[in-house]
Amino acid sequence: MEIVVCVKPVPDAETKLRPAPDGRTLDLEGAKFVLAGYDESAVEQALLLKDAVPGSTVRVVSFGPPGRTEEVLRAALALGCDTATLVESPPLAHSADVRSVARALAAAVKKLPHDLVLVGKQSGDSEAGMLPTALAQALGHPGFNGAVELKFDPTQKLFTFGRASEAGLERWECPGPVVLGLQQAGNDPRTAKLQNILKSRRATLDKVSLAELPTLDVAGATAEAFQLPPPRTGAKWIEYKTPEEAATKLVRLLKEEAKVFP
Amino acid sequence: MSRSVLVVGEPRPTGLVPASREAVAAARLAAEGGAVAGVLLGGSPEAVTEFSRGGVTGLWVGSDASYAERRIDRWVPAILAAAKSTESEVIVLASTGFGRELAGALAVAWDAAAATSVTELTPTDEGLFVAMPVLGGRATSKLRLAGPRAVVAIRPNAFGAPAMSGEAAPVESLSAAPPTPTLAGRRVGFEANAASQGPDLSSASIVVAGGRGLRAPENFHLVEELAEALGAAVGASRAVTDAGWKPGTYQVGQTGRSVSPQLYIAVGISGAIQHLVGMMSSRVIVAINSDPGAPIFKIADYGVVGDLFLLLPALTAEVRKARASG
Ligand SMILES: Cc1cc2nc3c(=O)[nH]c(=O)nc-3n(C[C@H](O)[C@H](O)[C@H](O)COP(=O)(O)OP(=O)(O)OC[C@H]3O[C@@H](n4cnc5c(N)ncnc54)[C@H](O)[C@@H]3O)c2cc1C
Repeated sequence: MEIVVCVKPVPDAETKLRPAPDGRTLDLEGAKFVLAGYDESAVEQALLLKDAVPGSTVRVVSFGPPGRTEEVLRAALALGCDTATLVESPPLAHSADVRSVARALAAAVKKLPHDLVLVGKQSGDSEAGMLPTALAQALGHPGFNGAVELKFDPTQKLFTFGRASEAGLERWECPGPVVLGLQQAGNDPRTAKLQNILKSRRATLDKVSLAELPTLDVAGATAEAFQLPPPRTGAKWIEYKTPEEAATKLVRLLKEEAKVFP
Repeated sequence: MSRSVLVVGEPRPTGLVPASREAVAAARLAAEGGAVAGVLLGGSPEAVTEFSRGGVTGLWVGSDASYAERRIDRWVPAILAAAKSTESEVIVLASTGFGRELAGALAVAWDAAAATSVTELTPTDEGLFVAMPVLGGRATSKLRLAGPRAVVAIRPNAFGAPAMSGEAAPVESLSAAPPTPTLAGRRVGFEANAASQGPDLSSASIVVAGGRGLRAPENFHLVEELAEALGAAVGASRAVTDAGWKPGTYQVGQTGRSVSPQLYIAVGISGAIQHLVGMMSSRVIVAINSDPGAPIFKIADYGVVGDLFLLLPALTAEVRKARASG
């Protein structure tokens, strides 16, 4: 089976939350970029499928500025992905345009054999959750987001997965090629062995250059402001002698002060 | 400058998902006096009534049985047909799981700028400005959606739904979407969530959530009774779902659901960061915990320090009394 996983470099959890000097985005000065969250699960799921179906190949693809994008591609190689493709991006400073990302990734994915394209359900920073289906649309494949319990049935050549809705869990089956946004892998993500980390440092990355991409409207959606909430001042304490008194006071505050009582 | 806006309604068995009604309010802001049409694919008669009286100027209804499968390749062509008939420049949806799937596909298919989880929306001559929580609700990002077309999925509870009007807007039937070749894949089963009677967790305007402080599954009814008295949805910390007291669908947090209700009541929950990122953007937070040093109190608006086994029954009784007396 031919699997492609698309990942996005995101600033790691240690990154200090503060606006950049121009006030438009998170300040990424000095930030370390990592493979994280749902993307990490997507890589894990791809590797689980590879383990289950001998002869499978997992190719990882990422679009973005070279330095940080290379970091996450090498991290994915260290975990066991077979090849990595870096898709060159135009300057993206304030871009928040999902179309551009989907079209750039689609151009790269089209060059690779694929039965399954796996993506995290949403990115760890912007959390928009649009890319999986945007990519499916750009590739002209069926696409679903929020997949769980993904398996492959080699005799019928069908992917089976669950898809959560408000009312419950839908069970789906779909032949490849299909694009899936992954909610959860079957395992906690594995960690890379030191020896594989060292090997991944020396690996050659495939490149898709800007010239090979369609025209991208990266300025179609742009970040204009990044704001932190005013610090919460801490709880207003309810003083009471009996539980009944606490209840009466709280209900009154919710009604009269917070105005959220139904 | 006014513009035509299309609202995609998301049906549920009993009508429309509440955030679709709120999407009409957002659409009116974006329209600046222009027409606000609705499109409904595969909804019940109740959904048609609710939508057509919910503040739209016209409603397009598509009734093909295949819409029930909720897949982008069925819905996108039909939505685009409605957008074309209404000459819409903006499409507004509810930012539910499926709403976000549609937003992504529409961005590419309609060649539009798009945003999800939108909590504010301001039309200007330079484009549509929208705000949404990012980084687990720890920050807000403001985007400009430029260009001739925009797709906006709005976060539940961010825009109040317009009042229902006595008069229904004209309803037209949307001729079946252009024939698609047989689509790969099919839905082969459905497992309904364990009968939770109350509102849906992700979109409820009030959530009462319980944690390990409840000590045992047989005590969880204390949380459920308070929720019922308030008309609230029930949530839980991961300690509760991991222990199997409640199914995973109840879990709020980084690896569970993100919620942003008007009121969130955390009971016996310590406030680990992985829980907080799923509920921090709630408007008003109440914490009930026996430990005054619990981190949950740092982000709560109202704190009650004490034993939940004494406090919850008293609070449920008081809520019932207050609601009965209006
Ligand atoms: C990768 C990762 C992802 C995670 N994702 C999530 C997630 O999505 N959601 C989530 O919730 N957690 C998540 N967690 C777990 C999280 O770190 C905490 O362990 C969990 O939230 C704790 O649940 P709790 O607050 O119910 O339990 P505890 O931390 O044990 O807190 C119980 C609280 O109850 C109080 N209490 C006890 N008795 C009483 C009483 N009689 N009356 C009143 N109060 C009482 C105690 O003072 C205490 O504060 C994640 C962890 C990891 C590592």
